[in-house]
Amino acid sequence: MSESKTAAFFRAEGTLIKSGVLQAAAYMASQRAGMRERLLRFGQTALAAPIFGVLGQNDRTLGNRVAHLSYRDITDDRVAILAEEYVEDILKDKILDAGLELMKQAKKDGHRIVVISEGISEIMEGLLPHLRHVDELICNRLEYKDRKATGTLLDPIMGGYDGGSWLKDYARKHELDLERSVAFAGHGPDLLLLSSVGKPCAVNPDFTLRKAAKEADWPVMEYTA
Amino acid sequence: MSSFSVKSEYAGKHILLTGGTGFVGKVWLVMALTRIPDIGRIYLLMRGKGRSVKDRWLKIVNENPAFRPLHEKHGAGLSKFIADRVEVIQGTLDSPNMSIEDSVAERLRDKVDLIVNCAGLVDFNPDVRVAVSSNLDGSMHVADFAASCKNAAMIHVSTCYVAGTVDGVIDETIATTTPNGRPLDAEAEYKRLQEIIVETEAENESEETVRVLTDEVVARVKKRGYEPTEKRVSGTVGRLKAKRLREVMSLAGTNRAKELGWPNTYTYTKALAEMLTKSRYPNLRHTALRPAIVESALKFPFPGWNEGFNTSGPLIYLASTWLRHIPAKPGNPLDIIPVDLVVNGIFIAGAAVMRGEHAEVYQTGSSDRATLTIDRLTELSALGNRQHLRKTGVNRVETLLLSRWDAVASDPEHMLNVSNIRELVFQVSRYLRHGRPEKIPSEWKDGAESMAKTADKAQRKLRQIEEVLELFMPFTYDHYMVFTARALEKHHVVEPEFRFTPEEIDWRQYWLECHMPGLRRWCFPKQYENKETETYTPKVPFVILEDGAAAAPNSQEAR
Repeated sequence: MSESKTAAFFRAEGTLIKSGVLQAAAYMASQRAGMRERLLRFGQTALAAPIFGVLGQNDRTLGNRVAHLSYRDITDDRVAILAEEYVEDILKDKILDAGLELMKQAKKDGHRIVVISEGISEIMEGLLPHLRHVDELICNRLEYKDRKATGTLLDPIMGGYDGGSWLKDYARKHELDLERSVAFAGHGPDLLLLSSVGKPCAVNPDFTLRKAAKEADWPVMEYTA
Repeated sequence: MSSFSVKSEYAGKHILLTGGTGFVGKVWLVMALTRIPDIGRIYLLMRGKGRSVKDRWLKIVNENPAFRPLHEKHGAGLSKFIADRVEVIQGTLDSPNMSIEDSVAERLRDKVDLIVNCAGLVDFNPDVRVAVSSNLDGSMHVADFAASCKNAAMIHVSTCYVAGTVDGVIDETIATTTPNGRPLDAEAEYKRLQEIIVETEAENESEETVRVLTDEVVARVKKRGYEPTEKRVSGTVGRLKAKRLREVMSLAGTNRAKELGWPNTYTYTKALAEMLTKSRYPNLRHTALRPAIVESALKFPFPGWNEGFNTSGPLIYLASTWLRHIPAKPGNPLDIIPVDLVVNGIFIAGAAVMRGEHAEVYQTGSSDRATLTIDRLTELSALGNRQHLRKTGVNRVETLLLSRWDAVASDPEHMLNVSNIRELVFQVSRYLRHGRPEKIPSEWKDGAESMAKTADKAQRKLRQIEEVLELFMPFTYDHYMVFTARALEKHHVVEPEFRFTPEEIDWRQYWLECHMPGLRRWCFPKQYENKETETYTPKVPFVILEDGAAAAPNSQEAR
């Protein structure tokens, strides 16, 4: 673990990986046991797509909640195995090299590397070895009862505006100087995260964030690989 | 709570081991030699099984993979190491005094500190004569011998399933009633079993049976167009009578077991053996150790080691096929326990009984400390097959489709159960042979014949699986049983590697990385694929050194 007193926050989706939670939820739904279950859960995942489309640039909490509803009744064993498969077969090929370079540079600059993701812990923890430089992962966690997912995400849900509110507590706990810290993110709901650090950077921003970055005069980076 | 070091308790102690060539016994033997080098002498009781016991012992040590850790540790020194610690004794449990030569028996009576009786017949519904001979007469002969020793304690390896067809929490006590609640006089029941054997033999020899068999044979011979001569008929009747006797003997045992509330002859005879040992030998320091379903090793001799017949194998095999409905009731625990934890239990219970601090019964199961339900087991099996087929599937049908064809726990009466599918395969085979149109091209006829043969093979395999599933139904569907495993907790063991810790099992890791690969490597080839089981070839073979004489084998010659 790094001893640095500054951190570099990376929002995984859009900055480090091309793929989002919808793709992950769709993959999990399509690999459930039995055709009926597969169709039902795939349909549930599809419901989340228009919600992300309409609200995604402002608050992704609802979209995340709906997308993860499709995990309902899936066992922790199946999630673990499918997450491993998803990372190996799909997600590791969606890693953005330019994002990795940013992370490498931030590490070199002495920052503690914190990755924030809407993805669930089972998937994101499997991805960490491929991201290499990460000191800490903050991501969504599924709630389980009797080894089965309830379809609910545990608080705090990453991806919404609320998700950024943990930052001050986190900084206090780790004695971080946020003024000297950096953050890279690309979605509207990441505004709170970016505005909390001294050196924010919008990466592949959506419309809302691009507008905000322009107004705040934040640097904007664009890359696709 | 007592506290002891297993290594210290066994240091210098002389042990008589029966059933040392079985799955559990072999792991016990290798663990003793590996972890307790200061152990006294281990007297290994063995039958020759068609060869001399020494030849058999040589073959086991040199070929059985369980001995790998010993070969790796001692290399060329293994022969001397074993000669100093193990003496192979010829004998068999089904005779009084275990057929041990008198002079040897006298020596053992003076020396033996502990008898570990791992022997027994684990077939569920065998010929009742064989079951009685192995599980009852055999156990009594071992107990007789133990009682005649100067200072021997005894540990009798039984099974948790002596509880019979009951539901609920099963305690660590020896029952005095049948599972269906009737008082049971074990001595009277032992006699009754012997009477059943005599009655069944008499029935098979009766004029009525001979007449029915003769009529059958005569009708069959005539149907084939031959003359039913006395010679031809009597020979066939004799063979049919012998075959029938084995079948009715198997049925007689099963029927008696079920009448009293046990699911099969195995658990019934094992239960009787426990009761008889307790009532006949009140002054003998002895204890019963009851393993649940013994499966692949967690760590020792190496992760995944397994051999022979086992319970979860057919379920896992079924989950790897297109048949996806496993007859199992969600929520029912299936009490699986790795063999090395069972062996740890035997060492602890053995030390306790030598110290005189033992409990009446020690159960070594996982259901009360780390429950594995049958539905979780089914899903883990499906996921394990998924992982395996994605990597090793021979074509895209296997890697993409069969790997995702998840098995699920379902009702035995499900429309797509094994019986119905077998019946469907049978009908297909029948149609291909007898129902197809007369006028079809000859190459189609050949194709149909070849498909019919494939269907016949599939049907035989399905029948085999169906029979095994029926045997296990009492445990996978009919009954909810949790075996307490608390008696071992009363002994604090100093060495962590000898502790009985089922609560530390990570079932997912065990099932996917240990048990399933173990079954695929060590059990499935012989049971389902008509292949020889893999053997181990040590760099320097073990040789038998007479009287512990030190002579390292010529490694050139060994190669």
